[in-house]
Amino acid sequence: MRHVKDIADLERARREIMKGRDPDARVVAICCGTGCIACGGLTVADAFRSEVDSRALASKVRVLTTGCHGFCERGPLVVVQPAGILYQQVKPDDVAEIVETSVEGDDLVERLLYVDSASGEKIVREEDVPFYKHQTRLILGRNGALDPTSVEDYVAIGGYGSLAKALDAMTPDEIVATVKASGLRGRGGGGFSTGRKWESCLKAPGDVRYLICNADEGDPGAYMDRSILEGNPHSVLEGMVIGAFALGVTDGYIYVREEYPLAVANFTRALDDARAAGLLGVNILGTGFSFDVAVARGGGAFVCGESTALMASIEGLPGEPRPKHIHTVERGLRQRPTVLNNVETWANVPLIVDKGAEWFAAIGTEGSKGTKIFSLVGKVNNTGLVEVPMGITLREIIDDIGGGIRGGHSFKAVQTGGPSGGCISEDLLDLPVDFDRLAEAGSMMGSGGMIVMDDRNCMVDIAKYFVGFLKDESCGKCTPCREGLRQMHAILTDITEGRGEERHLDELEYISWGLEQTALCQLGSTAQNPVLTTLRYFRDEYRAHIEEKRCPAGVCKALVTYSVVADACTGCTVCAKKCPSDAIEGEPKKVHGIVQDKCIKCGICYEVCKFDAIAID
Amino acid sequence: MAKEERAPETEGGANASEQGEVREPRIGVYVCHCGINIAYMVDVRKVAEVAGTFPNVVVARTYPYMCSDPGQSLIRDDIEKSDLTGVVVAACSPRMHEPTFRAAVSDAGVNPYLLDMANIREQCSWIHEEPEAATEKAIDLVRAAVARASHLSPLVEREVPVTPESLVVGGGIAGIQAALDIAEAGYRVHLVEKEPTIGGRMAQLDKTFPTLDCSACILTPRMVDASRHPNIELATYSEVKEVEGYIGNFNATLTRKARYVDLEKCTNCGLCYASCPVRNVPQLREPVGIPRDLSEKDRTRLDAIIADHGIDAELLIQILQDVNIEYNYLPVDALKYVAFRLGVRPATVYHVASFYTAFSLEPRGRKIVKVCTGTACHARGAVRVLEELERRLGIGPGETTEDMAYTLLTVNCLGCCALGPVVVVDNDYHSVVPGDADAMLARYETA
Ligand SMILES: Cc1cc2nc3c(=O)[nH]c(=O)nc-3n(C[C@H](O)[C@H](O)[C@H](O)COP(=O)(O)O)c2cc1C
Ligand code: SF4
Repeated sequence: MRHVKDIADLERARREIMKGRDPDARVVAICCGTGCIACGGLTVADAFRSEVDSRALASKVRVLTTGCHGFCERGPLVVVQPAGILYQQVKPDDVAEIVETSVEGDDLVERLLYVDSASGEKIVREEDVPFYKHQTRLILGRNGALDPTSVEDYVAIGGYGSLAKALDAMTPDEIVATVKASGLRGRGGGGFSTGRKWESCLKAPGDVRYLICNADEGDPGAYMDRSILEGNPHSVLEGMVIGAFALGVTDGYIYVREEYPLAVANFTRALDDARAAGLLGVNILGTGFSFDVAVARGGGAFVCGESTALMASIEGLPGEPRPKHIHTVERGLRQRPTVLNNVETWANVPLIVDKGAEWFAAIGTEGSKGTKIFSLVGKVNNTGLVEVPMGITLREIIDDIGGGIRGGHSFKAVQTGGPSGGCISEDLLDLPVDFDRLAEAGSMMGSGGMIVMDDRNCMVDIAKYFVGFLKDESCGKCTPCREGLRQMHAILTDITEGRGEERHLDELEYISWGLEQTALCQLGSTAQNPVLTTLRYFRDEYRAHIEEKRCPAGVCKALVTYSVVADACTGCTVCAKKCPSDAIEGEPKKVHGIVQDKCIKCGICYEVCKFDAIAID
Repeated sequence: MAKEERAPETEGGANASEQGEVREPRIGVYVCHCGINIAYMVDVRKVAEVAGTFPNVVVARTYPYMCSDPGQSLIRDDIEKSDLTGVVVAACSPRMHEPTFRAAVSDAGVNPYLLDMANIREQCSWIHEEPEAATEKAIDLVRAAVARASHLSPLVEREVPVTPESLVVGGGIAGIQAALDIAEAGYRVHLVEKEPTIGGRMAQLDKTFPTLDCSACILTPRMVDASRHPNIELATYSEVKEVEGYIGNFNATLTRKARYVDLEKCTNCGLCYASCPVRNVPQLREPVGIPRDLSEKDRTRLDAIIADHGIDAELLIQILQDVNIEYNYLPVDALKYVAFRLGVRPATVYHVASFYTAFSLEPRGRKIVKVCTGTACHARGAVRVLEELERRLGIGPGETTEDMAYTLLTVNCLGCCALGPVVVVDNDYHSVVPGDADAMLARYETA
């Protein structure tokens, strides 16, 4: 994109871009988020390009590789615009047909349309698919409309307009006041009021301040930050530049997980392009205001998402938290006042500046405003990223958007808030989802992971999983977390391996109390949530493990046996062939049997059997 | 020589009498006023009162000076009257009076190690200003001491024969001085140095900070003393291979490196050194900072990475990221070199390198197989996929196959949660159902 001289010039530049584009031209948008790439999105995109070339359509058709659309379950996704036709699970072999039928022609490739599992009907347009229909996609919605590596695309849909408005028509104080009035709360987990955080940073003494975008996203089961950075990096950058102007900051950082190479690449590209276009760097939009952002790649430590650890890590030190009696807004990075906000928080800022605080505050509930992106994963039919207004119920998310539990199983629990959150049981499904209500239920909003579990998930195993995760990720600086988590893990291991004792439940509660009271950072002081919530809502399951030495969900290896259901076995031999320890015997077409001594309980037979002839008990 | 032979080691805890029968602990708590030292800030009566309600506590008393004779006999009497198995004294620091009270309980027939002290003076009354809070804290300290005392086991003092010799590893200035001090005190010392001569770093320095003393003037006389001292056995050009045993009875095995000179016959004339054509003289040390074995090529590679980022200690993690990619792990010499170039202590670089999971200190395989163990993948059976891969590759997570073909890692969420379980081989993402991991990997083996 060409260099933009001043604020008025931005609109001219946008018109120039639009002039070069035919609004009625066909656009083939292929999702190339990490999920769709894993299913072959890039080869599909290549196939479209060569198909379009070979038909000499390049001048009339735009092949767009976009970031994540959210409906990862059905990838690779292809949307043909302007009609908005959604094709799902597209293979390279389907490409020629799609181009012929829907790009050159005006027909549909019926077999690639999404079929609504409830009504059995085929659905043509993306926006009519139930997965999308119940969402409010303020932030994610734009992912499908632009190429993340193109600043023109972002400017074309009005991007950087909020920055222009902020620089032109607002004072820094007005921006802070607007953000505060909007009620925006941090999307990184804590849910602290963003406006108040900015205000306290402004009040802190010192003339050098920093601003950081937290893209560490260590929370297992959440990936919205990744999708925003990969799919629309400029929206985050625009938010950061606005924030920098409001806070009088000249140096910003973005701290990205090292497991997210595409996010690093796209964001770095966005920085370069924005700098070249005069939207970042020295003298932004000719206003004399300067601000730049450096990318810091994380080292793969969950605790580095914690504010003080993150700042230590940017300083080149091990990511160990420090006590926070002095807040980072007063003394953060290099001992200077620092504002740290999450990716999604920053991405909300341009929207608020553009449409105003009242508009934003009208969405959501009393204490939680706007929308929140959740990664709806686990045992639901439609997994993916969903953006919904605060206050929607869990049931709506799981049933209406997620399409219910997959494979005819029944719902058991939903885990929200990552390792600091908790598991919520069925009777709380009508809980409106916002910061405060989730906390009341013993869980957390966290960064928005929502992992749905069915009757084949063992809640003791899940608690053990989280405690194990945190035990490995504890930085080891303070004793309650380092030793307490180790003990909890040992106890949970005992329970899942059949050595559980009556006293163990009290001990778990006692260690939990100690962690909550005494750990140095929230990694440790919230670590008990997965244990306490499972104890609160699923105590029966713990009891079954301890008293009956039985795992009701059939997950805990030491407590289950696999056997063949004679009535259902057809003697197809698949299980015998797949069994890694040759524990299955039987002649073809005759009922098979499992030799228990040899069985290593890997569960492969259960997975491969097409006749439900393997029983776990 | 054994001074006394009593009950076998430590069996059964405080609750075990000498016959080995298990008893409930019976504990007495004694809260001292220490004149006004404790009592002016801590409500000692209340402490005793509350302590009386703790589990296993059978008596709880206060006394103005617990360490005085009447105070001690109070404890002794109670032991006899109330058949105590353990004693908690809440008073001053154990450095002050622990021996006093141990003697007292021992006199009354209780093993002295069944005594525990709660320090409510130095760690409480002297350092607090709010009586109520201080009292609360004193109660907590006593609570902890009682809990500890309930778990204590009797210990037995024995004398065992020791070999009064010592081993000093490293013949730098510190090692030499330590050896000399011990030798002067009349004990034998084995001074082991891996280089052919003692002297260490100090022999490389001209002057020492901050007095600018001539370092040779400090070092040389001590080197001579050490080599001549009748109590010092010098083992130069040697390394400690193994140390085993326990205090007083260690056995150390030294490796003496080859020296090709018959030390018995050598007269130290120096002619061989002067006429040797090879001059591979081992005592030429690497300059401080640049590792000796780092090749010119490696230095260029590392310099290029450092130049990309800039010489700034804050960029350490970013630089190590790229070194890790360049070498597929972090070689020790590369760490030392980076430390030297950035002016960061090698220990700090090592701390960082070992803290972050992105860094590997071991060489890794040509292909890196990462199994996502994030929550969503876990809930859909990632553990089974991992086990399948472990079986197939014959290695556990974090390990590398012997032929260096694969390294198997687990990672906490790759951000592909909708597709779980996810396995990444190099940079290809695969959605793998349990049972299919074999097939997924097979594709790489034929390729
Ligand atoms: C152990 C731990 C891990 C965290 N990980 C993240 C993370 O990955 N991403 C994030 O944005 N915030 C994370 N946070 C929260 C941050 O400390 C901080 O509150 C947040 O980035 C502030 O931004 P916000 O106000 O926009 O939410 C973590 C906190 C803790 C204690
Ligand atoms: S709570 Fe855990 S992670 Fe946090 S500082 Fe303590 S040891 Fe480190």
